[in-house]
Amino acid sequence: MSDLHSPSTAARQVTFRGGGFAPSSPRWIGVAVFVVLLSLAELGTRQGWISPLTLPRPSDVLLTFQELYASGLLWAHLSVSLTRLLVGAALGASLGVATGVLIGLFSYVRAGLVPLTAALFPIPKIALLPLFVIWFGIDEGSKYALIAFGTFTPTVVATYGAVDNVDRSLIRMGQSFNLSWFSIVRKIVLPGAMPGILSGLRISLAIAIILLVAAEMLGAEYGIGAYILEAGSLYDLERLFAGVTILSLLGITMSTIIGQIERRVLSWRQ
Amino acid sequence: MTEFTRRKALALLGSSAAAVGLASPALASGRKITVGALRFTSHSGSFIGFERGYFADAGLDVEFKFFQAATPMAVAIASGDVDYAVTAMSGGLVSLADKGAVKIIGGALSEEAGIDGQKYLVSDAAYQAGITTPAQLAGKSYGITTAGSSFHYMGSKMAAAEGIDLKFKPLQKVGAIIGALKSGQIDAWSIVPHLAKPLAGSGKVHIIGNVSDYLPDYQVTTVFTSAKNASAEQQMTRDFLAGYSEGVAEYNATMIDKAQGDEGVQALVDLIHKYVYADRPREKAAKSIINGTMRLNEGAAMNTASLQDQLNWFQAEGLVDKSISLETVIDPSYVQTLG
Amino acid sequence: MDIRLSGVSHSYDNFEVLRDISLEIPSGRIVCIVGPSGCGKSTLLRFLGGLEKPSRGEVLQIGAPPSDCLNPLTYIFQDFALLPWRSVRGNISLVLEDHGIRGARADGIIADVLARTKLSDFAKALPKQLSGGMKQRVAIARALAVNPAVMLMDEPLSALDSQTRELLMDDLVNLWTRTPFTAVYVTHNLAEAVRLGHSIVVMSRRPGEIREVVHLDKPLDQRQHGDPDLEEKQKYLWQLMREEARAADAELVHV
Repeated sequence: MSDLHSPSTAARQVTFRGGGFAPSSPRWIGVAVFVVLLSLAELGTRQGWISPLTLPRPSDVLLTFQELYASGLLWAHLSVSLTRLLVGAALGASLGVATGVLIGLFSYVRAGLVPLTAALFPIPKIALLPLFVIWFGIDEGSKYALIAFGTFTPTVVATYGAVDNVDRSLIRMGQSFNLSWFSIVRKIVLPGAMPGILSGLRISLAIAIILLVAAEMLGAEYGIGAYILEAGSLYDLERLFAGVTILSLLGITMSTIIGQIERRVLSWRQ
Repeated sequence: MTEFTRRKALALLGSSAAAVGLASPALASGRKITVGALRFTSHSGSFIGFERGYFADAGLDVEFKFFQAATPMAVAIASGDVDYAVTAMSGGLVSLADKGAVKIIGGALSEEAGIDGQKYLVSDAAYQAGITTPAQLAGKSYGITTAGSSFHYMGSKMAAAEGIDLKFKPLQKVGAIIGALKSGQIDAWSIVPHLAKPLAGSGKVHIIGNVSDYLPDYQVTTVFTSAKNASAEQQMTRDFLAGYSEGVAEYNATMIDKAQGDEGVQALVDLIHKYVYADRPREKAAKSIINGTMRLNEGAAMNTASLQDQLNWFQAEGLVDKSISLETVIDPSYVQTLG
Repeated sequence: MDIRLSGVSHSYDNFEVLRDISLEIPSGRIVCIVGPSGCGKSTLLRFLGGLEKPSRGEVLQIGAPPSDCLNPLTYIFQDFALLPWRSVRGNISLVLEDHGIRGARADGIIADVLARTKLSDFAKALPKQLSGGMKQRVAIARALAVNPAVMLMDEPLSALDSQTRELLMDDLVNLWTRTPFTAVYVTHNLAEAVRLGHSIVVMSRRPGEIREVVHLDKPLDQRQHGDPDLEEKQKYLWQLMREEARAADAELVHV
């Protein structure tokens, strides 16, 4: 005991070696990155060390955006795109959830549909667009179908995975209390699968936005995708970037909405 | 933006003046250049120029780079990957010219009275419903690749002349438009004769009019290059145009004026077949190549009146900036101008 | 209502789990089943409630359950099995909804079982807000709500710390003393068995057979933690099980 305090053994602080590996994200840094990049682009295009062929001037993009807004065309483009996105994604996601639940519950459906889903998943849906035009017509039908099909497969995969992951002991509990099959599905399986379904929906909706541009390649006069494609063919970089910015904002909005839904619906999670 | 371009252009002009003064005769140099091309008969001027050695005679070592569509080719010119190319004056091309990247330096293909030119087509369904002239297309859908494409221009000018409205359907690719027209998803379209005729032959599509009726002297395609080549590489540009013009002259003389008789036509078809419809047997390709014959501009002369009209239309449609003048887009110093 | 197992044997594929079990569970009594791990005691409990079917033998209900009984054979699980997205109240109403009991009648039942398990103040809480002991009390309340003829308890206190276990044992004893219920109580904890069991079934290691049934006559409410006679019984049980437990522990896990 005594030599613990004896001056002959040098006492030194134990080196701290914990810490790190726990990143937090102060919000302003994200904003700062955007601001720095945009200012660099603005400065570069103004001073000429970025040629106008390489990058549009951010302030010109903003101006283009304002003109688009003032002309009323922003709403014309946005309203048709949102309709396509909502109808297509709603169709695809609801069919996907239904199919995923059936796969999660019934052996025969699982045996029959899992390989089919695996076969459909990697198909670039854009490649099927001409086929969809023949099947569903060149107007809204083919666009809804493309977006619906694109959101369908990831939703199916996410949903049956989520159903598989529902705590079996909860289902056993339901059976032990003589709950009907339908009650077990509605009150135990579906709420239990909800976290997985919602996180699958995040991916599905991002895919829906990507496919929106593809869907508007064929026969669309209005729409954000059509606007971007037109800007691309005109090599109008300001409009191209204005359009891409709208898509990004759309993506952020979607993700925020799902975040809100998750916060409400999944408040029971630890 | 324009200010920057001008300053840059002036600087380049200065340096080029010096360069020209020192330049040795181009003939001996055998300079390597890259020429962009689509596999269309309307690009025959370049193919003949190469195969017959006209480019080599002009001191140029030409390498072809093939593209699927006009816009990527224009972008390749702007990026400096391709030196010269032939394509329609699309909205994209005008935008690139406005950014100081490309210049139109000559004409390639134009509509001409008395020579078979581009056709207006309708689907069989529309035809059966009684649409036999372009004037009856009011309210119908009309296929285009993209907004600001030549198809858009042809449809729009016809509609304006007839006082009707068309619904334009952008379908990105010529193949997609053909599919949509055959299956009746769209009602009408316009296209060069070597595509129009076999389509009409299949019975699924019908020819109802000539583009030249609405757009006489329409400058369909142009020769263009980068702004840098146009201003700083004047000798090389002149050499290219010389070789190209010889190719065009032989094409027109042989294919249209039949200077060498049928034998000459067949010989040239063999040459062109190396580049166009190479995947089809000779007999089938020959028919399409001969069908597709249109007169190319002698000496790469360009019709500035038609180009001005096209530019006006782009601006009226809001497709390109209103402040762009024709001088920004073309460099008329190399060839004879018409109109 | 009594329950009788007669000649129950079970194997998974060619792997024998239980061999020739015959047992009577008399009404109003708590029967504890103890045995080394892997002896098939939980499997036996699943047979009793009809969640699994034995390969051979019968599980019989003798006599009819009381008329007000909604779910005669009701389980209480080791992991509580509460729906995390439903409140305490919602978890209990879950098992009433399917019997068409809603509104005032459901409120009455829920208020009663919450009072009996001392949870009245926590009706609106979510499971994530509750301690382990509280969660198991919710599960007990839920079981009481359907007024079971037999409670099938699968190691109900094993997931809890020892202090909480003591408290919950007191609660169970109080509940039984007020209204005696029939229960089969599976545990590997001998202290729980001697506190709660009217009879204790000792099982051998796999394939599980009944080695001995030990009866305890001392009334439940007179048993205390650390009673010498209970200690004695517990020691005796441990003697019975010791070798079996050691052998079971040394076996390879068969999945």
